[in-house]
Amino acid sequence: MSILRARINMMQYLRKNLRYYFVAVFLLLHSSIDVFAESPILLRDVTSRTGITFVHTDGGSGLHYVMETVSAGLALFDYDCDGYIDIYFLNGAPLKGTEVDVAPKNALYRNDGNWKFTDVTEKAGVGDTGYGLGVTIGDYDNDGDPDIYLNNYGPNVLYSNNGDGTFTDVTEKAGVDNGHRVGAGACFLDMDKDGDLDLYVSVYLEFSYEKNVTLTTRGFAVYANPRYYPPVPDFLYRNNGDGTFTDVSKSSGVGNHAGWGMGIVCGDYDNDGDTDVFIGNDVAENFLFQNDGTGKFEEVGLMTATAYDLHGDEQGSMGVDCGDYDNDGFLDFYVTSYQGQLATLYRNLGTGMFEDVTLITGSGAGTLPHVTWGNSFVDFDNNGFRDIFVACGHLQDNVEKFDDTTTYTARNILLMNTGDGKFIDVSDQSGDGMKVKLSSRGAGFDDLDNDGDVDVVILNSRREPTILRNDSPSKGHWLQVRLQGVKTNREGIGARVKVIAGDLTLIDEVHSGRGYQSHYGTRLHFGLGNREKVDRIEVRWIGGKVDVFKNIAVDKIVTLIEGQGSG
Amino acid sequence: MNMDKKTGRHKTRISGSSQPAFLSTRKSTVLALVILVIICTAVASVFSVRLIPCTNGQPLRIEESSDHREDLVQLPVIKPLSTKQEVIDLKNEEVELAEQLMRDFPGSEESLVVIGNLCYRHGDVIKAMEYWNRALQINPEQPNVYKSMALSYMKKGQFDDAVAQFKKALEIQPELADVYVNIGHSLMMSGRPKEAVEALQKEIKISPNADFAYFLLGQAHLQQKEYQKAQEYYEAAIKINPRYSNAYYGLASACAKLGDRDKAKEYSESFKKLKAEERKHLKGRKIEYDDFVETQKSAAITYINVGRMYRENGKLANAEELLKQAAGYDPGNVVCFLELATLYQISKQPAKALQMYKKISEIQPEYPVSYLVIGILSAYLNRYDDSEEAFRKLITLAPRKSDGYRELARLYLKTGQNLPEAQSLAEKAVALEPVAANYFVLGWACYTNGDNAKALPAIKRAIQLDPDNKQYPLLYKQIIRRK
Repeated sequence: MSILRARINMMQYLRKNLRYYFVAVFLLLHSSIDVFAESPILLRDVTSRTGITFVHTDGGSGLHYVMETVSAGLALFDYDCDGYIDIYFLNGAPLKGTEVDVAPKNALYRNDGNWKFTDVTEKAGVGDTGYGLGVTIGDYDNDGDPDIYLNNYGPNVLYSNNGDGTFTDVTEKAGVDNGHRVGAGACFLDMDKDGDLDLYVSVYLEFSYEKNVTLTTRGFAVYANPRYYPPVPDFLYRNNGDGTFTDVSKSSGVGNHAGWGMGIVCGDYDNDGDTDVFIGNDVAENFLFQNDGTGKFEEVGLMTATAYDLHGDEQGSMGVDCGDYDNDGFLDFYVTSYQGQLATLYRNLGTGMFEDVTLITGSGAGTLPHVTWGNSFVDFDNNGFRDIFVACGHLQDNVEKFDDTTTYTARNILLMNTGDGKFIDVSDQSGDGMKVKLSSRGAGFDDLDNDGDVDVVILNSRREPTILRNDSPSKGHWLQVRLQGVKTNREGIGARVKVIAGDLTLIDEVHSGRGYQSHYGTRLHFGLGNREKVDRIEVRWIGGKVDVFKNIAVDKIVTLIEGQGSG
Repeated sequence: MNMDKKTGRHKTRISGSSQPAFLSTRKSTVLALVILVIICTAVASVFSVRLIPCTNGQPLRIEESSDHREDLVQLPVIKPLSTKQEVIDLKNEEVELAEQLMRDFPGSEESLVVIGNLCYRHGDVIKAMEYWNRALQINPEQPNVYKSMALSYMKKGQFDDAVAQFKKALEIQPELADVYVNIGHSLMMSGRPKEAVEALQKEIKISPNADFAYFLLGQAHLQQKEYQKAQEYYEAAIKINPRYSNAYYGLASACAKLGDRDKAKEYSESFKKLKAEERKHLKGRKIEYDDFVETQKSAAITYINVGRMYRENGKLANAEELLKQAAGYDPGNVVCFLELATLYQISKQPAKALQMYKKISEIQPEYPVSYLVIGILSAYLNRYDDSEEAFRKLITLAPRKSDGYRELARLYLKTGQNLPEAQSLAEKAVALEPVAANYFVLGWACYTNGDNAKALPAIKRAIQLDPDNKQYPLLYKQIIRRK
């Protein structure tokens, strides 16, 4: 009797709630898991629909050469100036002991719009078969189109953009092959404010096959950490203005400091109108080269408290980006690092000093067990505050065999800026794009579909890349700014842009080379939240004047030309 | 937390190679020496050596221990590992040893802890946690196991879980060392410096010389912009460990924030200097063989832990072989010699025990306590020159502690030599530490030197301080009789 009563009760309950039941089932069947996302940021994995077939190779053959596991960066830039951001992936090359039938090469994908990409490597002539590590983009000859510089293991390459979709290798003429070295990050910058782009080239370490170090950990072959190889100074080349460069490493001061340089970024950290250089040194103190305005640099890492972390420990620094996360008008730095270390946020105090605020801001959340690489400050949800994206993946491909607290492949990390100086880890709530688990390295951040939000491209070691489309539901207003220098360098690299929209003031700079040995973001993106117009934009050109542009509409891409604003 | 003895440098990061402190027996010098002190006080009773003051200047021994064979302990000389396969083979050997232990002691939580610790050292933390949890199911009153689990959570960045496990350890043993400091560290890593301060304050009450705790207090106050307090704590850390480079970095930061540029520069220079020295030290490492050395050291730990279990369960022959093997794998590990010494004391083999303590003093020549035991055992074995040398060394290393003076005095009284000096030494001992044992030896020395006027008050004081000691009234009666 009681069973019958229970069944009757159940039937009554179901009838009563049937419509809710069907709604729930409907939602489950017809919606993606994103309907349950709690984060205002939503990144979807659209890799398979892009047509991109690039697969990275590290060129290894099991002999554990160090460069295998730290490769590589990528570049996002509009190579053909059609208004769409294209993608350039770096690839490894066969190392000693590796034989291949077809030499792997870098790959350039033209953005055809609507998330379709076409491999134009051959046509463009940029399929370098050298061992790709770092890349930067800049119009070094000021002819109106972006050029490519590759920082390889082996001779570097400078591709000059011909303006017709093709490139020419002008390395020898330019004098920037940099010898046979293990490259890392590279940046174009106008160090002396003379209107053309100079070139900073980081070198990771001194390596030769004969001196390769083989190591084991708990009996398993592993890659040696860079301390087993001598550190080396970086190189700085001054642009002579005629298509050639001169090595000014020593005279500039940067060549007097040996390190294990990896990711680098250039930016005016002290707001004095010139471009400084931050180098993340692996297993050693970072360098911050302060520019005196003429291209002479003083290393001030220790003095500015950017050399070490909060505790005074050196980090296994990998990638570095700069951005103003707290909207105080000063560029901050974010540096990724090794397992057992937090990625570090250095807040610019505006006094020439920085402070490691990682712990109190939560900006290292989730990074401790992983090796972290490409990163950036990006306002994914356009609310006016820059979030942080971190690409993760161990550099020991067999790490689980001797340390199960970490993994070779790892989910990337998304830290949302709460707007009050803190970050929270929203990786689990931000879409299927954040569930991809590979061993990521370089990452780039740009608006690939020109819909007003920033998307993500990640190069994964030994695998296909990951392309993430930003589908964040709660979008604020936005503005994208492309600079066009006239007297100063053509892309406005190094120029400081200040956007004022009501109570919101944002700054950014055009960087060439950033994150982990990568390049992206030549077109500056500003999230504006609910501000419906931009009151003014100030552009301080490197080596030039200040232009002011007023009353700009939002939700568009604007090109600001030097000299066309009010002074 | 690992401290490099050469540079005084602490690794403040949670590194992939760090392990729960108590698992790393090479590093548990303090633990080993505490055990040594406890053993020292029991050495005399184990060997039943009681020395009653002599009459007519002649030493008179009342009791003697049973055995003082001169057999030497033959320690195995183990070839260093040189190939990956040897490393793997040795790791497998450790696992087999631990599994055998589990078979020999089924249902024992200690064997589960041993194998759990082994898994942890092999990087298999998941398995380690399983074994530890099983051990806790059998016996939940194991604070060190909770501590190990907590440290594993810290390594994974799961700081809330780490704090929960640390708290469980404290519920069982509220004054367990290195727990509050790790709670503080975890809270700091979670961005909770205010709560971290509370925990760290508790650590320094338990361990007043915990330089890392002081350093973290400095960090916590720095994070809260309490720069003056931060400075004080960094200075306290440096007082304990003058080569603590991280603390100098913190001081430079705090002074800069306080506007004291000169001090900031001074501390910054000290930091740079120490860092440069650390780097030199790193460069000098024999880096190609680190993994082989570390694997052998890890194997030594397993052999020690297993050997200890057999010893504690009365299987002394098994234990001896295992501990000797441990010494062969890691000749620099004090704990295996300590374990062997304990075993030889239990089995009444003082000469072998003495050999082990001498090994300890070779490994750690600057630590005084081992000389105390060497001196006592040498005296027992009638090796008076060795005994005298050991006590003199003890006095040199620990001039503010009374043990060396007292025991050297006792030795002279026993041998009837240097009797006036014996009295001076005994007086010095009492002046340093007015405890019963020192008063006793003073009374004995005065009595032997014919100074009853001083002997009587001394022995009376000894009896007052330790009324249960049966030896003291005997001397008292002797003195009264003469008087």
